[in-house]
Amino acid sequence: MRIRPSPGEAARIGVVAAAALVLALLPFGMSNYHVGLGARVAVYFIAILGLNILTGYTGQISIGHGAFMAIGGYTTAIMSHDHGTNLILTLPLAFAIAFACGLLVGIPALRFSGVYLALVTFALAVSVPQLALKFSKFSGGSNGIRTQTAPSNSWLYGASWSCAALAFLCAWLLLRGRIGRAFRAVRDSELAAASSGVALPIYKTLAFGISAGYAGVAGSFFVLVTAGFAQPNEFGIILSLQLLIGAAVAGLGSLWGVLVGAVFIGLLPEISASVPLVGSSHGQDVVFGLIVIAIMLLLPNGVAGLFRLVESRVKTAIESDPKTS
Amino acid sequence: MIPDYLIHGGSMTMKRRLLAVLAGTAVVAAAAVSAASGAPKADPGITASTIKIGGTFPLTGVASSYRTIPTAEKAYYDYVNDHGGINGRKIDFTILDDAYDPSKTVPLAQQLVEQAKVFAVVGSLGTAPGLATWGYLNKNKVPQVLLATGDSYWGFSFKKYPWTTGWQPDYPGESKVYGRYLASNFPTAKIGVLYQNDAYGKNYFAGLRVGLGAKKENIVDAESYDATNPSVTQQILALKSKGADVFVVFALPPQTITALVTAAKVGWNPKATLINNVSANRVYLLAAAAAGANVDGIISTTYLASATTQKNLPGVKLAGQIVDQYAPALKTSFDRGDSNIMYGFGAAWTFVNAMQSAGKNPTRVGLMKALHSLNTTKDPFVYPGIKLQTSAKDNFPIEQEIMIKWAGGATGDWQSFGKLIGPVR
Amino acid sequence: MVDLAQRLVPRRTAVTGGVSAPVLLGLVAAAAFLVIGSLASDIFAQQTVAGLAQGAIFASLALALVLIYRATEVINFAQGEMAMATTYVAYQLTLWGLSYWAAFFLTLPIAFVIGFVLQVLVIRPVQHSVIAVVIVTVGLFILIDGIVTWIWGADLKFMKAPFGTTVYHAGGVAFARQDIGVLAVSILSVIALWALFRFTKLGLGMRAAALRPAAASLVGVRVRWMLAIGWGLAAMLGAVSGLMTEPTQFLQPTMMQPILLYAFAAAVLGGLESPAGAVVAGLALGVFLNLTGQYVSFATSELRLPLAFLVLLVVLLLKPTGLFGRKQVRRV
Repeated sequence: MRIRPSPGEAARIGVVAAAALVLALLPFGMSNYHVGLGARVAVYFIAILGLNILTGYTGQISIGHGAFMAIGGYTTAIMSHDHGTNLILTLPLAFAIAFACGLLVGIPALRFSGVYLALVTFALAVSVPQLALKFSKFSGGSNGIRTQTAPSNSWLYGASWSCAALAFLCAWLLLRGRIGRAFRAVRDSELAAASSGVALPIYKTLAFGISAGYAGVAGSFFVLVTAGFAQPNEFGIILSLQLLIGAAVAGLGSLWGVLVGAVFIGLLPEISASVPLVGSSHGQDVVFGLIVIAIMLLLPNGVAGLFRLVESRVKTAIESDPKTS
Repeated sequence: MIPDYLIHGGSMTMKRRLLAVLAGTAVVAAAAVSAASGAPKADPGITASTIKIGGTFPLTGVASSYRTIPTAEKAYYDYVNDHGGINGRKIDFTILDDAYDPSKTVPLAQQLVEQAKVFAVVGSLGTAPGLATWGYLNKNKVPQVLLATGDSYWGFSFKKYPWTTGWQPDYPGESKVYGRYLASNFPTAKIGVLYQNDAYGKNYFAGLRVGLGAKKENIVDAESYDATNPSVTQQILALKSKGADVFVVFALPPQTITALVTAAKVGWNPKATLINNVSANRVYLLAAAAAGANVDGIISTTYLASATTQKNLPGVKLAGQIVDQYAPALKTSFDRGDSNIMYGFGAAWTFVNAMQSAGKNPTRVGLMKALHSLNTTKDPFVYPGIKLQTSAKDNFPIEQEIMIKWAGGATGDWQSFGKLIGPVR
Repeated sequence: MVDLAQRLVPRRTAVTGGVSAPVLLGLVAAAAFLVIGSLASDIFAQQTVAGLAQGAIFASLALALVLIYRATEVINFAQGEMAMATTYVAYQLTLWGLSYWAAFFLTLPIAFVIGFVLQVLVIRPVQHSVIAVVIVTVGLFILIDGIVTWIWGADLKFMKAPFGTTVYHAGGVAFARQDIGVLAVSILSVIALWALFRFTKLGLGMRAAALRPAAASLVGVRVRWMLAIGWGLAAMLGAVSGLMTEPTQFLQPTMMQPILLYAFAAAVLGGLESPAGAVVAGLALGVFLNLTGQYVSFATSELRLPLAFLVLLVVLLLKPTGLFGRKQVRRV
């Protein structure tokens, strides 16, 4: 079990606070379009945070978080479309439904690990959009379903980042406490955790539920930034793969890189479209694919790993510098 | 250090007030700026020398077989630009890839409107992408015109969405034509239908039943397929086993080809086969024939001029010249009769025509007015005689079609028969 | 060296893996059911035949997945896209004037090289972490898609029908030469693979490298190269499955994506480590989908994929290592 050194933690809180301040001030200097992109980054931020809780902290791989996003997204769209529910009120509902679905998936997932779990969750990601097609009376089918109101980009930015901040705070509190210690114990050695009294099934399933709940809220915002329009094509397998890429870029088992991971998958397709030579539409994929591979080769522990590296370098530099000591 | 409104995500009043204040400031500032500039400003995207437009298309992904459409449109605009443009203005056409995914279409539409500041969104492809963006575009009074999809939303909802128009005949209207044809020519047939399991396929299927009228009892089986199905063999076998002897396919091009090939492969020889015009591209039929399908006698409809059987039409000659000069990459498929190219030319012609009608100083309102009062048979790329017509009551630009039948096997072509049918709706 | 390596590899894991009695019994019962059903009803027989042809394509890609799993214990998400890319290579060769079969056999070594080089360049450096490998293969998925679209465009392209378009009839059942050809090619590749693993020094070395890397390297097996060769072989198998898919899906960058989903299911169903399991599961899946489509009215087309995965889930819950999988010993 690892306990973080508190001076490092203090420094990190400072970094997070600074990032939060920048995020809070950013929309004032940006065009409406870029504010919309910023809200999109918040969507990925929340989803990656959730995926990280599962994969990074309890070691259960999921390639199916797009499915939970679909569940959350459709909750918001259907509640608003059919019942005129206030959009903000649909968020806790999306969390609750996705959380319940997460628990349901988490129970059979107890029997699988590693590659098998990856494939089972993959199957989930592929199947959920199919269900939306099948039950089209309920979900609008291929022509989609729309919320009654489509909020503005600045509303979306404020709401999604507030929610993201709340989600981050909750995750941080959760993971540094008793539950977080249990999660990490499960990840590091299931046998050791079980023998020291951690109830494996409960904690593994709980992690699935929380993680899915996060993805559900992210899905709600995902639909809202898509003009309140939910449609099966939006939740294709590529969405789940993007989340996994984002989580890996951020660095698994650490919360400090999540913002970078979210910015990476949220903005890179945008940026790579303007790369010269291959910058036309299909070049986008070439650049995106290349960068994903390059990052994994160069930063196997993601941005969080890079942060740790820099931190320890700085620490050794300070310690070896006679003037400061 | 973190502002209150960020932490208390639940209580939005604080944030809302802040944003309201902000919005208020912005409005005042904007008013001041526009007051300072004085003279009436042209609509966004219009300068003395250019008209900026854009559209979203599936250049990648499942629907990427349509990518020749925007390429052809761009070629036509380039041709117009080299011949004086529209009242001296050159068309600057931006093509963006949404991979047929509405969650990509929405930010791309915002990018076109707010970053690229286009005058209009022209020719964007797909029903779901269109539905995902029409709220935003109409709210911002940005024309969303000549949508490349045959759904009837654009035609029927133009009171509520006055900035949106389609172009091609709508799908159920087309399948009513098939229904009526079957009812009178094959009154005792046992009809088997293969359709895509989404609104596209279901609307086609519904239209067929309407067209068949009392004869809809002749439908012995209807099987759907999903885009994730690896083949349609199971469905074809089911249709065959129910004794169907007329085969109707409402599918996307790849599945239509597969369906035709599979029918031959399982030894099913229906006495008539009908396919929708989206799939009735000569290129696809040639491929199906080469893979073993029995293509002779297949029936469909078209509303476009044929690059292969109508070579002497001025429009086809012009299309050939434009392809040679502005889109040589399309040459091979054009010569093989890829109707998507003619589609792109025809839609682009309509836009240019409407812009000319909109006058020397075109506005968005003027463009919509022009598109709501089309009345011309001059589009050189549509089937000769077809009239593009809209009015205050009718927002379906093309409502006529001609039936076609394939002859000549693996090197054959479509032959039209009968008279122009219309209005199809 | 061979003797020592031989000792490292338990004989039963060769290709068949360990098939338990209930599974074997179940398979025999299923086969009997299919035969009886086929004799009783023409449409049943026809759906079964078509299902087998479809299943053969699932099987060949599943086989490639299994090969990579055996070599490196990871799932290659880019397997389908690699297959698609090599099919485009074959297409390009036919454009340059080669006959179909010349292009086919020339594509195989090209595919081998592509697989080999990819393993050395991008997989080997991250091999220590499963999640890193998964993400790199996802990156490859996107990259290959982009490159193919860039070079060839995303519009539909077509190749010559490799087996001709003849249809044979036996009773009320039609047999397309095409389907028989696909089935034959898939079965031949399994046999070739089995022979390679069973009878050659290379195959033995690969098995040893996969099962006990440390011990294998002690007895002189070059583990690193064995893994790369595994990727090369998988890419070759992928090329075969791509070329066998082309007549039904045609050439487009997305052609292998639906196949890959079912191939995943087949590979896992078969036990991930067992080539024979992958083939049996692939064929079974193909037949199962066709028969449920025919006889179960609720199983409409959009439910076909969820249904396949439901079967997978149920099998895994009953037998977590798949039908042909060995029991895993959990090391503490």
